[in-house]
Amino acid sequence: MLAEIVISGSGGQGVLVIGRLIAEAGFLEGQEVVWSPSYSAEKRGGTVSCMVTISTEKVGSLMITRPTIGIAMNHAAAIKLEPALKKDGWLLVNQAENGYQPARKDIHFLTVSANQLALELGSESTANIVALGALLSIHPVVSLDGVIKAMAQLFGSKILEMNKQALIKGSKSVKTKDEKI
Amino acid sequence: MSKKVLMVGNVAIAEGAVLAGCQAYFGYPITPQNEILEHLSKRLPELGRVFLQTESELAAISMVIGAGATGVRAMTSTSSPGFSLQQEGISYMAGAQIPGVIVNVMRGGPGLGNIGGAQGDYFQAVKGGGHGDYRIINLAPASVQEMMDLTMLAFELADKYRNPTFILVDGFLGQAMEPVIIRDAVTKFPAKPWAITGAKGRPKNLLDSFEMNPVNYPSRVKKLLDKYEIIRRNEVRFEGLLLEDAEIVVVAYGSASRSAMSAVKLARTDGIKAGLLRPITLFPFPEKALRELSLRIQAFLVAELSGGQMIEDVRLAVGLDCEVDLVNRYAGVPLPAEEILESLRGIALKQRKN
Amino acid sequence: MDKVIYTKPEAMEDRFTHYCPGCGHSTITRLIAEALDTLKIQEKAVCVSSIGCSVSSYYYFKCDGLEAAHGRAPAVATAIKRCRPELYPFTIQGDGDLAAIGTAETVHASARGENIVLFFVNNAIYGMTGGQMAPTTLVGMNSTSTPGGRKTDTAGYPIRVCEMLATLDGPAYITRVSLHNPANVRKAKKAIETAFRVQMAGLGLSLVEILSPCPISWKLEPTNALKFIEETMIKQYPLGDFKVIDGVKALIEGVNPCSPK
Ligand SMILES: Cc1ncc(C[n+]2csc(CCOP(=O)(O)OP(=O)(O)O)c2C)c(N)n1
Ligand code: SF4
Repeated sequence: MLAEIVISGSGGQGVLVIGRLIAEAGFLEGQEVVWSPSYSAEKRGGTVSCMVTISTEKVGSLMITRPTIGIAMNHAAAIKLEPALKKDGWLLVNQAENGYQPARKDIHFLTVSANQLALELGSESTANIVALGALLSIHPVVSLDGVIKAMAQLFGSKILEMNKQALIKGSKSVKTKDEKI
Repeated sequence: MSKKVLMVGNVAIAEGAVLAGCQAYFGYPITPQNEILEHLSKRLPELGRVFLQTESELAAISMVIGAGATGVRAMTSTSSPGFSLQQEGISYMAGAQIPGVIVNVMRGGPGLGNIGGAQGDYFQAVKGGGHGDYRIINLAPASVQEMMDLTMLAFELADKYRNPTFILVDGFLGQAMEPVIIRDAVTKFPAKPWAITGAKGRPKNLLDSFEMNPVNYPSRVKKLLDKYEIIRRNEVRFEGLLLEDAEIVVVAYGSASRSAMSAVKLARTDGIKAGLLRPITLFPFPEKALRELSLRIQAFLVAELSGGQMIEDVRLAVGLDCEVDLVNRYAGVPLPAEEILESLRGIALKQRKN
Repeated sequence: MDKVIYTKPEAMEDRFTHYCPGCGHSTITRLIAEALDTLKIQEKAVCVSSIGCSVSSYYYFKCDGLEAAHGRAPAVATAIKRCRPELYPFTIQGDGDLAAIGTAETVHASARGENIVLFFVNNAIYGMTGGQMAPTTLVGMNSTSTPGGRKTDTAGYPIRVCEMLATLDGPAYITRVSLHNPANVRKAKKAIETAFRVQMAGLGLSLVEILSPCPISWKLEPTNALKFIEETMIKQYPLGDFKVIDGVKALIEGVNPCSPK
């Protein structure tokens, strides 16, 4: 198995945390993992990205140029991520109904209203975890259990419970127009 | 049982230093190595060891001199612009034979450049950088695990040869996170009868590079040069991947070697017999291994994050009869595996035509 | 029976120095060695030399010694003290070393209040490199790089190191002494001793600025060089204490634990 995941969004959207949780969960499940912050020169506009490779074999390149999975926490990120994706790759976009529409037909496309769902739980700050839950329900690169274990390690007890709920809520929420699923 | 954890490269260097018994760290903030300074600002005082944020990299390297002279294991870390400032002290350390570890998490240059990872300080680190006739052992980790392991080794070699030792790594590895097996802490340290510990019950110890009598100076420098020869003979380290039947060999270190590793594997699925030689020590350079390969291989591809620096050493090692190509990125930009693969395809095509 | 009234200090090596005749560095070497004897700390003292005429000052003491790059002696001494608190590192630095190229190291070691001793040899000139302007060269004073005398419009003004550092909260003891006559040499000796005692008591950083003749670069007979200090230099660099924290006051006023009972 080789999953090359790029997560992208704007500062404050918890992009690095998503990456960190996937990496930690993969690690706990005995996979080879690499987490890297994005190297793009575009520091403008507060874009934040990170890359995670999960593999059964030793990982070579630290950087991912053609991801198999892209998580876009906003439209701008989706526009950047879509053309880079590998054929048959997965693009998850955080948005409300009728937002971003991918141009490519050779990728899988999912959406999640992560901010909306997180707000229903009490705070938009868990939108990143909702999005992660959504991805994992369709494409389990790591298990939900693994992520919960990772969260227990990384988060303080105060926010742990809310984040667990966010993960579960996200995992039950995926909207897709993708016939392949 | 040894513990395995996910760790950021820079933190692995810091923890490697702790495990190696580093008693004193001196540093000045600069991206992309700040995690080393920040981590040690907490760790070392907890252990009753010395941490000091200095007024400059000049002060930091001078403090490594002072600390190393007292016989304790000492370290500083910096990134390219700060490394330039430290060349002064490094030359003094080499001259006075004071051990110490200097970490350079390289970024884009020249000048202020940018904070992306790069390998543009190769010449400066490997060939000298400071003034005078000296050499520095250069260790080049290519994974977070190696950042810990080679940092530990750096302290050992610094003591063994009474010489400064570099960890030369690019910012991409410094910022990356990978699983690391935490090694056992070093408990045995070499005796240092030459150290500054107070002239009690023994003749006084002097540590300097200065020689007032010009007649004595050449023999003093000769001793250093002899030492570097021994290092050349004993301390070459490299790793080979799929070299046995390789027809094209990529030479790369640091994060470029990671991209190269991916590229070589992809090339193999394309039917191209590619291999990888990864220098772990940049000085001493694995010139003999390259030379031997050059007797049966016609093409080398150097992959590096600079305008082309290590390639000069590869050319020197393999001679004029071999083709040595360059695939590179510079100015703080990473080198994708696909780029290396393209170059390998190009070379393979040329070989088939010939 | 003959009585010995003057001899080489125990802590001083039995060898010629490389200093020019009439140079203040020689006197300072002797005074430091005497202090090491009086306080019985030669086995724990570490001489950190600087770059300048004091470059190999560690040759002349029977204590461990270490070389520092130009201006970096305070940083080197800092690390020695931090790593081996039982040692007593001291630096001997010229004005170029301490107040030009090493200003940052001097100011920051002072600001941190490192428990070290800095001996600052102010001869208002770059002695070793042949008499160029120093940061302490007086206005109008000749040097090989200020033909016709130092002019303020291009070369600015001399730095008063003690006054500047005394504004910091870090240092414990800052004083300026001079070598221009025996009475002042005795005061200098006292100040040097006090500086070591401050370190021994763990009170913090001491800086002893010593106005010191450089007859060679000043192009003066040694006696005239002393007169130059007395009549001209002191006007720019007044003698006295600039910072004496309470702990040091108590130390100076109290009974000297090392004096014979
Ligand atoms: C980095 C560096 N720059 C310049 C020099 C040359 N240099 C040697 S001593 C010196 C100045 C010495 O003057 P000072 O510190 O006043 O001491 P003095 O010789 O007067 O005692 C200089 C500039 C050097 N050794 N290193
Ligand atoms: S040049 Fe001046 S300071 Fe240097 S040794 Fe001679 S007299 Fe002393």
